[in-house]
Amino acid sequence: MKKKNSRGIIMFAHNNDEIDYFKLAVVNSFLIQKHLGIKNITVVTDSHSLAHAEKELGKAKIKKAINNIVISEKDRNFKRANIRIYKDTSHTAKNLSFYNVNRCDAYDISPYDETILLDADYLVLSDTLNQCWDHNNELMMNWKWQDVMYERKFENLDRLNDLGITMYWATVVYFRKTPYVESFFNCVKHVKDNSQFYRDLYKWKGRLYRNDYSFSVAAHTMSGFVDKGVPQLPTTLYKTFDTDDVHSAVDEETLLLYLEKPRSPGDFMITKWSGVDLHVMNKWAINRISKELLDYVA
Amino acid sequence: MSTRLSKALEFANYRVTLNNQNAALKAKTQNLLSYSINGGTFVIDLPLLTFCKQLIDLKHKDAVLLDSFDNPIKVELKAFHKEILSRWFEVTNDYYAEYEKLRRARKVHKILDLNEKEE
Repeated sequence: MKKKNSRGIIMFAHNNDEIDYFKLAVVNSFLIQKHLGIKNITVVTDSHSLAHAEKELGKAKIKKAINNIVISEKDRNFKRANIRIYKDTSHTAKNLSFYNVNRCDAYDISPYDETILLDADYLVLSDTLNQCWDHNNELMMNWKWQDVMYERKFENLDRLNDLGITMYWATVVYFRKTPYVESFFNCVKHVKDNSQFYRDLYKWKGRLYRNDYSFSVAAHTMSGFVDKGVPQLPTTLYKTFDTDDVHSAVDEETLLLYLEKPRSPGDFMITKWSGVDLHVMNKWAINRISKELLDYVA
Repeated sequence: MSTRLSKALEFANYRVTLNNQNAALKAKTQNLLSYSINGGTFVIDLPLLTFCKQLIDLKHKDAVLLDSFDNPIKVELKAFHKEILSRWFEVTNDYYAEYEKLRRARKVHKILDLNEKEE
């Protein structure tokens, strides 16, 4: 699979009882092909998620979307232990398994010289990420982020704790295969393997293991304990939260969003979002519009 | 609810939608005004455009410019200036057209370019 000077995208997609992450990855793969013009797409999944997707979408469609599927079986103990609240707007909340343990293996798994690691729910609606290729920076991540609903403020998402280090988002990571980046990913693995120690040291809240935390600690460490030492991607990370919803896909680059009003939880306003990549945290919402999106891009 | 109050609330809803849509449009414009070349990333803005033009007028062929990461990037000035100028026009013209459409919209469904039934 290894190609000289190859470029590609890697996503991780392990379904839980309710969320079909693999389907999100298929939708996103078609969006990537459409907007970035990239065919090298690797999805890391498990046999159960793949079997479910084959039944739902058909092998042909999956093959058309993804040219490299890597099977990595789940660590059942981690799956049982890492439970988080998933919201489908403020009206519905469920405790479900959040399987994200192998994301730190992206460097080893990626068959490409240049890779963009993406969350399956980061919808590629533009060609902005093409600016990463051949960049002087061998590793780039976002610490700059912006809520699509501009009035809302989430101050606790800027740092690991109120007085802590800057929070990097592992939602989109550009990396090249270099010794520095290899050490970076080894550092992420080390933080993951010793998460209890680093949780105490960096004082992040909650018991949930999040890649954002381990990538942030690794970024802080690998930049010589300097704040914001790992450069920002050429784009800001735009987000909608799990309390928001997606009304519909207008075309292959435009979504109509329901955004929860800041002073009136459970109440929404509508916004049209077009031509800018978007991290949609309400997974059910993407699954609901996945058929429309597939009609536009598949 | 009195008619006056419901009208005020409707207008408040319109203002919030309008402000958010303006911000979304700005985000799109900013994204499109980012340009990567020779391993660096530049934000296309007025100082960059005028500085490049000035260097060209002073008969410089190549120059080292500081990109948005403050990294030095060597560029061939004429081709670089031509590219960023063309992008600037393309993006700002689209921004203007979209902005004017928003400015004239007086209802939520018009801001979002929807049919009234879909609102």
